[in-house]
Amino acid sequence: MNFKYRVVSIIVRGALLASAWGAVAAPSPAGAAPAAMSAAAAPAAATPATATPTAAAPPPAAAAAGATPAPAAASSAAAPATAAGTAPAGAPPADFETLDQEVQGLKKDVIDLNKDLFVLEEELLFPANTQVALYVSMDVGAFFALDSVTVKIDNKEVKNYLYTAREADALLKGGVQQIYLGNLKVGKHELVAFFTGKGPQERDYKRGATINFDKGVGAKYLELKITDRVAKHQPEFLIKDWD
Amino acid sequence: MRRVLLAGCLILCAASTVPSIAAAPTLLGKEAPDFVLKAMDGNNLRMSEFRGQVVLVNFWARWAGDSRQEMPALDRINTTYQRAGLVVLGVSVDEDLVHAREFAGAMKVSYPIVFDTGSDIGRQYQLQKMPMTVLVDRAGVVRYTNVGFKRGDERAYLDHIRELLRE
Repeated sequence: MNFKYRVVSIIVRGALLASAWGAVAAPSPAGAAPAAMSAAAAPAAATPATATPTAAAPPPAAAAAGATPAPAAASSAAAPATAAGTAPAGAPPADFETLDQEVQGLKKDVIDLNKDLFVLEEELLFPANTQVALYVSMDVGAFFALDSVTVKIDNKEVKNYLYTAREADALLKGGVQQIYLGNLKVGKHELVAFFTGKGPQERDYKRGATINFDKGVGAKYLELKITDRVAKHQPEFLIKDWD
Repeated sequence: MRRVLLAGCLILCAASTVPSIAAAPTLLGKEAPDFVLKAMDGNNLRMSEFRGQVVLVNFWARWAGDSRQEMPALDRINTTYQRAGLVVLGVSVDEDLVHAREFAGAMKVSYPIVFDTGSDIGRQYQLQKMPMTVLVDRAGVVRYTNVGFKRGDERAYLDHIRELLRE
């Protein structure tokens, strides 16, 4: 229900923004349309059916149409319209200022809407109940220079990533990389990660690490850790399950 | 009657193929597809890490005769404009990695050569004929492409490179 409400809310906000932007881009001769429109559009978000035609109508009609569901909106919409109507003819800076503020407001709305869309898309593509995310981290790295990581889940290769010198350096400086984000069914799974690179004495080095994990209802986070084992002068590869 | 049918079939075939050629997608004006490949020296090179520099990507193959002519010309361009912010990348599309390495070594070019033994990157760059050269501006947008190579093409490369370096 919450999800549906958010989808509807995003669609309505998008439609309102589109109509409001159209009005700002081509203002009416009276010059009061944009002011009336945004004022009427803001409270009308909860009543999309009445909001859209309101935005497209000329200022007096907009105030009238907005008055039915929200009287407060009508009064706020009418105020700037009348104010603009009574303003002296030789005062263009005030109009421009208002218009500029409205454009800034619209831009902010677009950014907010974009953010919401991104979050929604992430939730749709990778819903929390099937989501699995893998991260790579590296500590010290004196005995291993990372070249590539290959990840297999249930014997199927899901990711093969080649690291450039910059990326490996970023990991050594404490960076954590999200190497894979995907969906998995609930149940038991096996993950195998192969690490290739240069080991001690500049030798080619390839090691694997395996983990069997249970994918529950919630999201699953796993970390592929590369650490140095000082006692053995060898790198160590671990997979940590973040429950 | 058969001739009429045959002619009709030919017209239909032509009609079905013409739009696909006309609608062939182009890279110009679009963001250059990113890739990461292993270079001759064993390091991995990522295309997007050259953002901020003008990048000339040259796709070549051992079996394409024009590549032999083009690579020395690109080498001269690289040595001249490297300091000005130009990066030349040679991408081998040979499936045979050993022979591709031998060929690249024999050409003795000063710019990095990377090896693409799969076909994904070629598909992303819409390779039609070898060699193919793509010029990418500082913002990572494809600004010029050249399919094949004939003498004199390097002048066109230079014109575009100078223009992009000035931006």
